[in-house]
Amino acid sequence: MSLDMVRNEVLLSVRDLSVAAEGEGGALRPILDRISFDLAPRQILSVIGESGSGKTVLARTIASWLSAPLTVTGGEVLFRGRDLLADPAHARSLAGREIAYVGGNPAGALDPTMTVGAQLVEKLRAVRPEITPAEAKDKAIRLLSAVRIPAAERRFHEYPFQYSGGMMQRAMIVDALISDPALLIADNITQPLDVTVAAQILKLMRELNAEFSTAILFICSSLPVACDASDEVMVLHQGRVVERQAPAALVTRPGHGYTRALIAELPTLWQGGPEGRDERQKRDQRAIMSVNGVSKAYETRGKSGKALVQAVRDVTFDVFPGDNFGIVGESGCGKSSLMRLLTGLERPDGGTILFEGENVGAASPARLRELRRKFQLVLQDPYGSLPPQSAIGAILEEPLKIHRIGTAAERRERARAVMSEVGLPADIYESLPTGLSAGQRQRLNVARAMILEPRLLIMDETLSALDQTEQGKLLDLFERLQAQHGFTYIFISHDMTMVRQVCSRIAVMYLGETVEVAPSERLFFEPGHPYTRALLSAAPTLEPRRYRPEDCLLDGEPPSPIDLPPGCAFASRCPSVTTRCRAENPALRTRGRQALAACFLVPDPSVTSDEPMEQSDV
Amino acid sequence: MSSIDITPPRAAAREKTVSARIWHLALSSVEFRIGLVVFTVLLLATLFYPWLSGIDPLKMAIREKLLPPLFLGEGWSWAHPLGTDQLGRDMLARALVGLRYSLLIGISTTVLMVMIGAMVGLFAGYYGGRVDTVLMRLTDAQLSIPMIILAITILGVSRPTIPAIIVVLGLAGWPVYARVMRSTVMAERKKEYVRGAMVLGATDLRIMFTLILPLVLPPMCFVAVLDIARMMIFESVLGFLGLGVQPPTPTFGNIIADGRKYLMNAWWIATMPGVFLVLTLTSINLMGAALERARNAIYGGA
Repeated sequence: MSLDMVRNEVLLSVRDLSVAAEGEGGALRPILDRISFDLAPRQILSVIGESGSGKTVLARTIASWLSAPLTVTGGEVLFRGRDLLADPAHARSLAGREIAYVGGNPAGALDPTMTVGAQLVEKLRAVRPEITPAEAKDKAIRLLSAVRIPAAERRFHEYPFQYSGGMMQRAMIVDALISDPALLIADNITQPLDVTVAAQILKLMRELNAEFSTAILFICSSLPVACDASDEVMVLHQGRVVERQAPAALVTRPGHGYTRALIAELPTLWQGGPEGRDERQKRDQRAIMSVNGVSKAYETRGKSGKALVQAVRDVTFDVFPGDNFGIVGESGCGKSSLMRLLTGLERPDGGTILFEGENVGAASPARLRELRRKFQLVLQDPYGSLPPQSAIGAILEEPLKIHRIGTAAERRERARAVMSEVGLPADIYESLPTGLSAGQRQRLNVARAMILEPRLLIMDETLSALDQTEQGKLLDLFERLQAQHGFTYIFISHDMTMVRQVCSRIAVMYLGETVEVAPSERLFFEPGHPYTRALLSAAPTLEPRRYRPEDCLLDGEPPSPIDLPPGCAFASRCPSVTTRCRAENPALRTRGRQALAACFLVPDPSVTSDEPMEQSDV
Repeated sequence: MSSIDITPPRAAAREKTVSARIWHLALSSVEFRIGLVVFTVLLLATLFYPWLSGIDPLKMAIREKLLPPLFLGEGWSWAHPLGTDQLGRDMLARALVGLRYSLLIGISTTVLMVMIGAMVGLFAGYYGGRVDTVLMRLTDAQLSIPMIILAITILGVSRPTIPAIIVVLGLAGWPVYARVMRSTVMAERKKEYVRGAMVLGATDLRIMFTLILPLVLPPMCFVAVLDIARMMIFESVLGFLGLGVQPPTPTFGNIIADGRKYLMNAWWIATMPGVFLVLTLTSINLMGAALERARNAIYGGA
């Protein structure tokens, strides 16, 4: 199946590689089945497949990092003609020098007790002891700025916790590249990142590939990302290579049924026209949650003394019962801070958050606890959000115990009912969550949130850690639960395609402000704010794009939330900026048919009628 | 016994609670069983042997003084399996009664220590800020006083009764636990599942005691098992200094203090407490280690 292209030079050649997991009693369960492929220098090869298809095992086998239950049962991995499997000592000497590995969990890979710079220097000097510390530092800073870490000189001395997720991922790429490897294995590096950041990282990978002549094995689970990133795409299904083609050919002429299915189930942004999710909810009734002018600032202590980070500045929106409301924005735009405000974990500095007419921000702790029965949060991280040593049944009964609902037998009954409702098998009631997959863990999280029968569920990036197939299944589950229980959902996400699929109204946040609030079809087909267009242009999709990144986003970093410039926060990256934008901050204003945008380019409502506007020239 | 355990279907075995599974796994290991048997035998012996055998550990018989243990040296007798001391008192009965007090003091001291330390550490680590500062400065103050000086001061002023000894040793040992506890709680507190519990409406106390404490206490208890030994030895030290349980009640401390004068010709007097100490601690450690291993196996490193 593998296409042996005639090349005069091959960097990595995998021949009939099989890996199996040793189960109980010595039974072997195959994970990888006779994988063969070649990788030329400077080539970028994407490996895609759903979770469980063996992508990460493949990556780790090549990086000689296979642990206990997994064993290689056959085949060879030739790196520059030498078999790594036959010669583990040689393989170890290559790891970190010639073969670099970047994982999908940058926060876990960096040592929290050392500055990022010190770690990079240490790594480089461990691999190449002949380099002096000063040279190593220079190189680290050069690479940090090559991966677009702003103020690399200063950031060099900062600790990992001072980095954002995207910056940590970039630091990990520097960590991998600092020894000038010939092969970089990038295992799911963009999955936890925002679209615009992921797009930047992909662009960066391509540039680095050209500049440092590194071959890249790019492992990911999203087909659009894989197609964007690579020269060739290899599709892995149940441990076998089912197809290998150039991205364009793969999309237009998929050769295998699995690939076709994969392409068919991809959600689309614009296909199917403006008629997205229907308008079954009535917006004339009272809002279930009404957020008005909410702001929150955090005090940080830096070297230059105290500073205020304005995490949430002026957020305004209404959520109606039975609605699916989306909040989208890049990392650092204040989504998570807003989530903490909405759920009453923190109190806003200004503005009001009304839940069924009651101010969450000013409620007493006891009252807030009562209110929490009616609105629940499903957290982002499927691994960290569950208590690690409680049985699944106990996790589910905990909320009932907290609110003193029912007897022990009733609670047990309720927990079992909820488990079957979210599709968890009943016999894991006494098991620990340790053995569950990410998707099952999120089901458990949803079950825990809905056992109190809340009216409003806030989903904080609930699906971002899951692969496409699993996301689809959970979205179906959410829909079914909504139909049965009449939940209202707020989806906080960075994923435009997901939001497009499920949400009927969407708020776009940028640097702590809502810059646009509009029904889904308006937002995707005639966005009112230039930033929304930039987000749409960066969304990973195989469709022909309505907005091209080149037209929508100027290069540059968003301003720091510590010292915001006067005027519109997006002005520095906006292609259609005017002098007024730099002096004055636009407020949200209506542009008809329930759409609001905070941009001066939106005509003043007092002069326009309620007609849809021409957006093409904006 | 074990054949019965295998017969029920797998689904039923799955239904057992997590703690039941841990105990089951621990009980099925050989180390745990050895430890349990030795410990049970020792415990029963300390409780019942002096009473059942009718030997009074305080009864002196000068004619039978300094008899060696069985088969060791001349003049041993079946009546005194471990020999007698310089006043002809039966060493087995004395050592077992001594073990009774040492165990009582060792275990209750450690429990007290862990309890105080865990509470201080839990509150300091969970609330942080000012609570943390105050509690940790208290801990530092306590740490700065050497244990033995504290014990001499307090026990020298008041009468050295058993509760007083427990309180003194417990007060001297807790700061270490408070520090360890504080740092682990601080790490756990920032984890997402704690925030999840807050959103569910759990109160701070509930999170602290039902969520965090069960998670961080077991590893600490494993260390504390080793501290039982330390505390038993400290009790011996106090006894040796004459500040422990007062003679004629035998404790390991005063047995050793008596025996050291006869070390040359009657080595067994000072050795017996050590033998029993080794047996007790080994059995406790065997059980602790097996339990810890079972815990790790069930939780799978989580």
